[in-house]
Amino acid sequence: MNRRRFMGTTLGGLSLWPLAGLTQEITASPRLQERVEDEPRKRLRELGIRIGTLETGPHNALTDVEGVRVGQTTIIKGEGKGAARTGVTVILPHSGNVYEENLWASAFNLNGWGEMTGVAPIESTGLLRTPIFLTGTYNVGIVYGAAMEYLSRLNPGMGVTEETACPVVAECFDDFLSDTPSRPINTDDVFKALDGAKPGPVAEGAVGGGTGMMAFGFKGGIGTSSRRTGDKDTVGVLVMANTASRSELRIDGVPVGRKIKGFNPQPGKTRSIILVAATDAPLLPFQLKKIAKHVALGLAQAGATSHTGSGDIILAFSTADRIPRDKRAPFRDVRSVSDFWITPLYQAAVEATQEAILNALTMARTIVGRDGNTAYGIPLDQVRRIMMKFSSID
Amino acid sequence: MDKEIVRGKKNSLTDVPGVKAGHLTVHEDFVDESGRPVSTRTGLTAILPYAMDKEMRLFAGGAVLAGKGEMTGYEVMDDFCYLNSPVVIANSCNVGAVYDAILSYGFVLKREEVWPPLVIGVDDSYLNDMPRRLFKEEEILAVFRDASDGPVQEGAVGAGYGLRALGWKGGIGSSSRILVVAGREFVLGVLGAFNHNNGDLTSGGDSLTLIVGTDIPVLPNQIQRVVKSLAAECSSWTAPGGTDTVSCLMFSTANPMSMENEGPRVFSYKMIDDSFLSRMIEAGAEAAGEAVTNSLGKASPVQGKLGRVLRTIPDSELAKIKQRRG
Repeated sequence: MNRRRFMGTTLGGLSLWPLAGLTQEITASPRLQERVEDEPRKRLRELGIRIGTLETGPHNALTDVEGVRVGQTTIIKGEGKGAARTGVTVILPHSGNVYEENLWASAFNLNGWGEMTGVAPIESTGLLRTPIFLTGTYNVGIVYGAAMEYLSRLNPGMGVTEETACPVVAECFDDFLSDTPSRPINTDDVFKALDGAKPGPVAEGAVGGGTGMMAFGFKGGIGTSSRRTGDKDTVGVLVMANTASRSELRIDGVPVGRKIKGFNPQPGKTRSIILVAATDAPLLPFQLKKIAKHVALGLAQAGATSHTGSGDIILAFSTADRIPRDKRAPFRDVRSVSDFWITPLYQAAVEATQEAILNALTMARTIVGRDGNTAYGIPLDQVRRIMMKFSSID
Repeated sequence: MDKEIVRGKKNSLTDVPGVKAGHLTVHEDFVDESGRPVSTRTGLTAILPYAMDKEMRLFAGGAVLAGKGEMTGYEVMDDFCYLNSPVVIANSCNVGAVYDAILSYGFVLKREEVWPPLVIGVDDSYLNDMPRRLFKEEEILAVFRDASDGPVQEGAVGAGYGLRALGWKGGIGSSSRILVVAGREFVLGVLGAFNHNNGDLTSGGDSLTLIVGTDIPVLPNQIQRVVKSLAAECSSWTAPGGTDTVSCLMFSTANPMSMENEGPRVFSYKMIDDSFLSRMIEAGAEAAGEAVTNSLGKASPVQGKLGRVLRTIPDSELAKIKQRRG
């Protein structure tokens, strides 16, 4: 069983809409497609749709967690055969050097048909020691190598006199739009993302690692959102969404995926989603495991059922305390939120996750990729209309 | 850090300050309604990790290999990483009775609750007519009440009374090690119920249970690292192919946490540096090995069900085991 085989229907690489044709929906497609491409992309909130009850942070993004920075390189090269639609998204977990000052972290493997490197040491030590990289499946080796180069440039002693770190590189399969076997990414692309990492608003949709991704039968990619709890803690979530079938899509509980007409280039696919949650609340690794598990509920609220061929992997980290690598002290004082007070953080994680996934959809424009394969941006006018019909717009 | 590893004063789990232990041993012969002779050779061993009348909890974690036996309370320990209950080892048929008695214990103590109860089941059916004798609540509560911080009684006692290990009379064993960190002395103690097979798969019950306590400040992920390694070490002493259940449970008394719902929002903890964990694992494995030989060496012969007899291991055989563990 190999990865490609398991993904079944993704394989032929054929865009079904020009071929399959002949239904009402498909004949309507060209006209609708023009409209969708003209339509400026909007975040979910800009459509008047709010998920949950908690307030967002100022940017409604992972970067609302103080110190977290995001950088992205988008690779769009060529048309037709061999076209590349891929990239890398990098998350710098705090404002300093995370190799020298580690953060508590934990991963949750909801459905393991995917890759997230660096998880074994995180699970063993509870510590995140590198930036987090999100990219296409076949780019992982190259990005991993670039990450090691970055880490050793920044930390010349690493691997010489000092311990090495295992970078966190996670992937989704962007084969529908991108010529994945050619691995169209290089070390410079990764460094560009690292150099460009910044706080503030995060570009969403068909950018960075999300450039070639599809979710719920539409163009997916990078999406982010954040929440503030009543205790003034922030939880931010960033996803690289490439998962689930169109019929599964729910927005705030409304079965939008079943109501949308047209834009139907391919039947349901099983792919993957990587979800990263950050918080400034002091949490220990076993509690971050619980946050990561609750992120899975946000994925479910967006409608995903986590297919057997989907690599649904979640990482959660806390920026509250930096644990120095240089361990001369035999004892250390640490702190964490009491389990009895953790529920608002769960709520924040679940709400932000659903919204991050939906932002990935509403912000992603239509992309034509390799061999003319087309992934449509979800038609926002239809989304609004369906949501209004279900009275879910304020 | 001091490299030398030395035993605690009692060479027992109770060397960990605040930890108490006690046994209930049941030896009864009677004829049942149908005229069948019944031999009861069983008991329970209880560990009280802290003064149980306090509304508090301790960080804890478990590792179970080839799990065929019961460990109740596992979900909370796995997810929330704490214990809030005595840890009791008893035969599998008595798990429910003990579970229920632990709940009662919480009400007797006038605590909000002692939940979830931690009960580990073992199979002592070689010598014991297992389903025929349930413990009474008073008996179990008496063990909790009378638990002592003196040296743990070893051998054919408590949950160990009916156990069979390596072809000989198995039972309860305990040992401890002192570890010095930054000039301060800490204890790591173990208590085991040894019921495991060696190469001959009919030489024992089918389990090895090890409880590890320490006052070293280890956080949940560190407990996991230590307890997993100790489970792997213990597993290497059991039947080849890993068919014996190895259940390890570890707690640290160093960071007691309040149980109150309206307690502080943020707790402060001490934690030891990860670099010290290998010494803990080394000390724990050594103490566990010594607990095995203590249990075998101290176990007096017991005759039980169907006239079966388990004898004390001869010194020459014990010496061989000690040598392997040395």
